[in-house]
Amino acid sequence: MSSRDLDSYGHGSHPAQLADVLERVLDKGIVIAGDIQINLLDIELLTVKIRLLIASADKAREMGIDWWQNDPFLSGSNGQGQLEDRLRKLEEKAGLPTTSEEE
Amino acid sequence: MAAVPVPDDAGWYLYGVVGDQPERPAPDVLVLREGAVAGLASRVSLAEFDEAALPQRLADAAWLEEKIRAHEQVLESALAVGPVVPCRFCTVYRDERELRRFLADRADVLSSALDRLQGRVELGVKAFATAAAPSQAGEAESGRAYLEARRREKQAREELRETRAAIAHDLHRRLVAAAEDGVLLDLQSRELSGRDAEMIFNGSYLVSDRARFEDALAEAVPEGFDLELTGPWPPYNFVPEELARP
Repeated sequence: MSSRDLDSYGHGSHPAQLADVLERVLDKGIVIAGDIQINLLDIELLTVKIRLLIASADKAREMGIDWWQNDPFLSGSNGQGQLEDRLRKLEEKAGLPTTSEEE
Repeated sequence: MAAVPVPDDAGWYLYGVVGDQPERPAPDVLVLREGAVAGLASRVSLAEFDEAALPQRLADAAWLEEKIRAHEQVLESALAVGPVVPCRFCTVYRDERELRRFLADRADVLSSALDRLQGRVELGVKAFATAAAPSQAGEAESGRAYLEARRREKQAREELRETRAAIAHDLHRRLVAAAEDGVLLDLQSRELSGRDAEMIFNGSYLVSDRARFEDALAEAVPEGFDLELTGPWPPYNFVPEELARP
């Protein structure tokens, strides 16, 4: 197989896939602390990313998932069950014993 | 500058940091120079990027995609001219003084990061399994045969997982050897990758000799797998550790 056979694209002719951009732009790069308007913590971005990466919006709608509307972080509402669910996921990510295991 | 209206409550959205390149990557992007480094920034409405309102904004998939693509586009334009150290999405300063203070305070580490990135690009590599995974246990004659089929199926899945892990490990080792640096990224689901084939590998590499890297990639392609090469990317994955955390 020569390198010409590689399934490749440059950014000039085809836009990069959103998933590839997201996984870089959302949680990589310089992180600045201090006096800036927005200083999203890693964990918040992670949460957004998890939700986003479930599916693209169109796909999610197709599948009937209004994940952003049911998310307390994203919708600003205060759904206790979802908060717990989110906490458990973050605990798992962080390698901590999860809330559900203690129950 | 007059061509682009500046919002009344304008803050500064910082895309990334460059060295001595004088060009604006886009008409609405300003080059804020502090000694040897310069920030690439746009005036943005602080109301639009307000922390309290941001969760709702982020939930708007169209808004998010537009802003994320704009962020990427500015950095790619800068990358076409010279090295750039990318900022994370939504890095917004209230005022220019603070932004300049960041550039001045971190000039040394930013400069050495830019030096390191000179002549190097980030390339992404994904591998997909084109061979079908073992089939499900079909109709079985008896309960015992069914259980036996299930057991074999489980074993086959386990072996497949191990084989793929070994392939991914070997691929990463070869690619790192042909690059300056490399990292493994999370695997993407089918919905994300947009492909029917299962992703078994997702890595990103800092590459100085692209021909050599692509040769290594071509040699490393195992039977039954498709490789996808993406980039060049702004080097999001190769920002110095001390800049990549608050």
